[in-house]
Amino acid sequence: MLKSKVLMVKTRSGKILKIVREHYLRDDIDNGLNGVDLDDHPMLENDLISSEHYIIPDTNVVLKQMDVLEHSCMRNVIILQTVMRETKHRSAPIYKRLRTITQNKDKKFHVFTNEHSIDTWCERRPKESSNDYNDRFIRVATQFYNECLSERNQKAVLLTNDKANCDLAKKEGLLAVTVEDYVRNIVGFPELLDKLAKADEAMEVDKSISYPEHLKLSQLQTGIKSGRFKQGKLNISRQNYLEGKVLPQGEGSKEILIQGRMHLNRAVNEDIVAVEMLPENQWSLPSDVILDVSVQPGAEISESHAEDLKKKHGIPTGKVVGIIKRSWRSYCGILESFGSPDMTRHLFTPAERRIPRIRIETRQAKLLIGQRIVVAIDSWPRFSKYPQGHFVKALGEIGDKDTENKVLLLEHDVAHEPFSQAVLNCLPSANWSIPDEELRKREDLRGLPICSVDPPGCTDIDDCLHLREWTDGNLEVGVHIADVTHFIRPGTALDIEARSRGTTVYLCDKRIDMVPELLSSNLCSLRDDGDRLAFSCIWVMNHNAEIISTRFCKSVIRSKASMTYAQAQMLIDDATQNDDVTIGLRGLNKLAKILKARRTLNGALSLSSPEVRFHVDSETHDPIDLETKKLRDTNSMVEEFMLLANCSVAEKIQKEFSDCAVLRRHPEPPKSNFDVLVNAARTRGLELSINTSRELALSLDEAEKPAENVHPYISVLLRILATRCMYQAVYFCSGLESDFRHYGLAAPIYTHFTSPIRRYSDIMVHRLLAASIGADSTFSDLLNKQEIQQICNNLNFRHRMAQYAQRASVALHTQMFFRGKMVDEQGFIIVVRKNAVQVLIPKYGLEGTVFLDRDHQGNAVGTSNLEYNEDACEIVANGVLLKVFDEVTVQISHDASNIQHQRINLHLMKPKIEGISAP
Amino acid sequence: MSLFGNNLSDAEKCFIIHGIQDDFRTDGRSCDNYRTIELAVNVLTNTHGSSKVRLGNTELLVGVKVELGKPEKATPDEGRIEFHVDCSPNATPAAQRKAANKDFVNNIESMLVRTYANKIAIDLTSLCIIKGKMCWIVHVDVLILECGGNILDCTSLGVKSALQDTGIPRVVVKSGDEGEEEVELPDDPFDVQHISVNNVPILVTVSFVGTRHIIDATVEEESCCSASVVMGVTRRGRILGVRKQCGGSLNPETLVEMLEFGKKSGRQLHVALDKMLKSYEKGTTGYL
Amino acid sequence: MAGLELISDQGYRIDGRKPTELRQIRCRLGVFTQADGSSYVEQGNTKVLASIYGPHEPSSNMRSKISHDKCIINCEYSQASFSSAERKHRPRGDRKSLDMAAHIKQTFESCIHTTLYPRSQIDIFLQILQSDGSNYCACVNAATLAIVDAGIAMKDYVCACSASLAKGTTLVDINHVEESAGCAELSAAVMPKLNKIVYSELNGRLHEDEIGKVLDSVVLGCNDMFAVMERTVREHVEETVSNFTHS
Repeated sequence: MLKSKVLMVKTRSGKILKIVREHYLRDDIDNGLNGVDLDDHPMLENDLISSEHYIIPDTNVVLKQMDVLEHSCMRNVIILQTVMRETKHRSAPIYKRLRTITQNKDKKFHVFTNEHSIDTWCERRPKESSNDYNDRFIRVATQFYNECLSERNQKAVLLTNDKANCDLAKKEGLLAVTVEDYVRNIVGFPELLDKLAKADEAMEVDKSISYPEHLKLSQLQTGIKSGRFKQGKLNISRQNYLEGKVLPQGEGSKEILIQGRMHLNRAVNEDIVAVEMLPENQWSLPSDVILDVSVQPGAEISESHAEDLKKKHGIPTGKVVGIIKRSWRSYCGILESFGSPDMTRHLFTPAERRIPRIRIETRQAKLLIGQRIVVAIDSWPRFSKYPQGHFVKALGEIGDKDTENKVLLLEHDVAHEPFSQAVLNCLPSANWSIPDEELRKREDLRGLPICSVDPPGCTDIDDCLHLREWTDGNLEVGVHIADVTHFIRPGTALDIEARSRGTTVYLCDKRIDMVPELLSSNLCSLRDDGDRLAFSCIWVMNHNAEIISTRFCKSVIRSKASMTYAQAQMLIDDATQNDDVTIGLRGLNKLAKILKARRTLNGALSLSSPEVRFHVDSETHDPIDLETKKLRDTNSMVEEFMLLANCSVAEKIQKEFSDCAVLRRHPEPPKSNFDVLVNAARTRGLELSINTSRELALSLDEAEKPAENVHPYISVLLRILATRCMYQAVYFCSGLESDFRHYGLAAPIYTHFTSPIRRYSDIMVHRLLAASIGADSTFSDLLNKQEIQQICNNLNFRHRMAQYAQRASVALHTQMFFRGKMVDEQGFIIVVRKNAVQVLIPKYGLEGTVFLDRDHQGNAVGTSNLEYNEDACEIVANGVLLKVFDEVTVQISHDASNIQHQRINLHLMKPKIEGISAP
Repeated sequence: MSLFGNNLSDAEKCFIIHGIQDDFRTDGRSCDNYRTIELAVNVLTNTHGSSKVRLGNTELLVGVKVELGKPEKATPDEGRIEFHVDCSPNATPAAQRKAANKDFVNNIESMLVRTYANKIAIDLTSLCIIKGKMCWIVHVDVLILECGGNILDCTSLGVKSALQDTGIPRVVVKSGDEGEEEVELPDDPFDVQHISVNNVPILVTVSFVGTRHIIDATVEEESCCSASVVMGVTRRGRILGVRKQCGGSLNPETLVEMLEFGKKSGRQLHVALDKMLKSYEKGTTGYL
Repeated sequence: MAGLELISDQGYRIDGRKPTELRQIRCRLGVFTQADGSSYVEQGNTKVLASIYGPHEPSSNMRSKISHDKCIINCEYSQASFSSAERKHRPRGDRKSLDMAAHIKQTFESCIHTTLYPRSQIDIFLQILQSDGSNYCACVNAATLAIVDAGIAMKDYVCACSASLAKGTTLVDINHVEESAGCAELSAAVMPKLNKIVYSELNGRLHEDEIGKVLDSVVLGCNDMFAVMERTVREHVEETVSNFTHS
């Protein structure tokens, strides 16, 4: 049966269109009741409803109470198409979660396409609002289910919190219940109550606060169109949770500063907000004050402070007038312990400093104090100082390493569950060996002196090298990369999982694999214990490391040795060793040096970041010692050839697939990014030239030369600071971008080819390369540039998150290392702020803040005795001058006074400052 | 007034003219009879109003679409109504000849503009949304599907029915903060206002053939016609716009007679049309 | 169009059809009196009128193209101004319409027995009344019926159908929403009894691995279309015959 649907649409250009769409009604739509065996899936018992029943939630219930629906006891739920449609329209993340549940067979969530069913279709009535219309759809469908179920003595229960809809449903003889009532009466799952999202009215009215009302979406849109408001994503400062910046959409727009609770007006980090500019005389500057809730609960910028900021010429400042889209997620954190644990209302402090505290209601407070828990925000009413939320789940004891690991994985959105059965089904058996037909298809390179060089303890070896000299004097150099794409076929569950994980995440004591271990540590890992499939990039070079020819092939290799950097270095240095592998290594080492020199000459930057390695106790897995990573020649030897392989592959795939090559670029940072660096260097009489990467590289090298009054470590500090001035390198699809340059490597084109075991980007590159040499076939998504860009966006996000998780893991281990210790150590000031200095302790690779406005016990002493000079990067505290790059001695101690943010405290020991330094 | 000449022989012409003199036309009608009219409205769902008319062998579709626009400077409080006529090649292969087609179409358009696009026929102020800034522009598209004579009368029947069928979204004007106004569509797609067609005229063509005048000439009769007069007649019998067509000339007395005749026929036609629109049931025509 | 799901997890398309289902088809023969053959085809909200004039003596502007062993096929495609959601300013003569006319002409040159009508001209006029995707297909189907109505000899019926690919599933007889979602669109005209493809066109990108699959669905769609068209012709003939016998 055919119905047409008429829509009036206003297009972006202001035209009003009448659009007619066909709408077919069918009688063959599965209502999900047939063949359902009730015995296998016992219905949820509820005191309110006497009979067995199915639940039909309305849209608002789905949007607000996802945590309840996700609970394992919620089964036999009918999700209507109307609800799906509205949910999708209103919230993408909830829609994603809803789809995940509906695809889970065990949950028994059936999606009923009610709007196309002849039994449940209803015609829109004149003057009916679309909300009422949707509600009617839901009621009609509930009625339909009731009829279907009546012969089985079962019922359909409509879950709705909408009073009007509830009343109408009751009038029509339907069972309609609010979620609160339903959940309260579920038998056997009292913990569900905590998961209930709170309604919009404030749980507690804070008399002190009344936020400005948010404007309506339509008003915001009008304002944005007219240019009165700016739209953008709110980025709360990491240093100060009451200050944020919004970068409005559109080319060439400038960041807008937003300061203070009232101006932020209930916007939470990453929300898409509409901002109204303040008049210019109220413009302000980002405060250089580090505001840390964990030390000073409730700390805020004092008014007087804000006053004197205004006097200076400010930057564009605005206030939030409305929220366009919330980006709320679940947050890890702890329950604040003030107040009686018997009370039900509590404050939750998120681990992420940029998120405000959240008020929640729980009856399990006694149990939860001292645990890491997860909480979701539900609403933020106008008269509530804090947002309101509900408890989702507990992770475990605070301070427990597993719990803390879980927290940092969750906070960085790292998927760490074990691989699903569907994924594991894609794997070959553990005793898989290379089949003969595969051998025939590939080049047999098993005779070559191939070896791998990796950090100690590495089990996922994805690259090997070889070099041999030809009789004509030329050198054959090969880079052999694990052929992961032989096992991960496009479109399989394994491929989809790897694509969504994007990268392997390395924590200090744990590796979260992108692909199952069988592949990462065995079949694909190029160990020296047998034949392996590889993807080889083979160059012919002369002794000046000039490439004569390049070719790529799928191959079979047998690694002669899996070495650590140190082992390889020893072989090279040991003149008595003269086997093929050693000779090869020496040749490679020689070529690498030439390559590196050439690269540097072209302007490649060698940057630095403090890296440390923990020695972990084999029993307790607690860190017992740490060392900074040493760099040997062999490290850079491997790196050089990987870079070379990446560049060669990038050229090749770009040539073959100019529209859809996966490349990596590093955008050139704007000059202004280097201001901090240049200023800091100038204090030591060093002039840095930053016009091009080449000049920067040269001047950084220049700074390495020993000079008077300059500590030799300063050149390292400069490199660290320089790194922080750069942008992140990103993956992208070549068809959608014109600038391919990699600034840091000074390469015109670059990609990632060499680590397919731990990076999905490399898997995509492998597939492209294989297609371009005819070793494998293409498939449609491989050549779809929009699709590729979407994957690239995810990969960029995953890589960033992996990096943050890694840093957080190092920080966690550093804390554990210093637990109960107090050490004096040498450090360097790397950044001077208004009320503090940032100190780097090279020995531990540890960076921390030394506050100059507090005494050693953390009590505020005021800022009156501080004189801060931004341009000179210096601060005078109680008459003692502290300058950037000054060598200082700090006392390192572990501070567990705040269980949420256990931290490393740094106190200045030398130079001694009255009232601040520890006695 | 036909697009392509129908090459009738003198004898044939003579036969037609003599018939008319005896008030007995070739298809059996008398001089003041119309051919059968088939009418359907709301046939095109993606327009705001539409109609399909078949008058003897003449057939056409009318689609009305409304669009937001700016009022003319001279009339800031009025909307506009625009006519576009297109002759489908289906109607006659001659429509492919661009020049001939253009003349034919322009002639109809200009007649429609003259009789409809004025304040007497349609209350153009009802189409204004914000004075001087925003108004509705009503596009009336006429698509001729088959040419069987008397296109003008048939067109006007179609236009009137389509306008009557037209529903304009009842937009709400919201004032923004800085004096700029925005229109918002109603949530309900059926929330529409109708254009008042009470004073909308119908075109009546009176053709002078031989010694008598007739209405609703077929293609053959048109080719025998020495002069014809087109006039817009409202329901109450007011005449809006008159034009004389064809090559011949008329006596002043004959013209007055013809106007009187046209007026009478027009009023009857209005009544007949209203009746048809009321009793109209969907699905009675061949297609759409 | 971001976020538009052409096919739901339950396997229904936006308008409620299953992937292989055609839209509702209605067709009629002999809708006009003047033309030598005419038809009307409705595929969902795509509505087309077709008229055939001829075979007749070539018109003056075609004289130069007269061929001694076959007829000239002249095709014109027009789209009514009100046919699409947004009003069209030019009913014909724009690039798209000229292209469309050329494609239809090409399609029918290969299946009308042109050698039976030397030195003559056949006009195929197509008028889109409402457009909601797969316009080419509806035109070809309408033209076929009109040619049958005109009694011009053809090798076989020509039936056309389109298909697109969404999330690995082929969608047959795509409408405007599906068309504008940016997926590849494959249209083909098929002579179902001879099992030959007379015309095919691909818009957008489609991986070669998938072409076979999509083309198969198109051919199936054409066969479904053929069943409807043939029934219409038979009914029309029966009706005409009964009119003769009664009078």
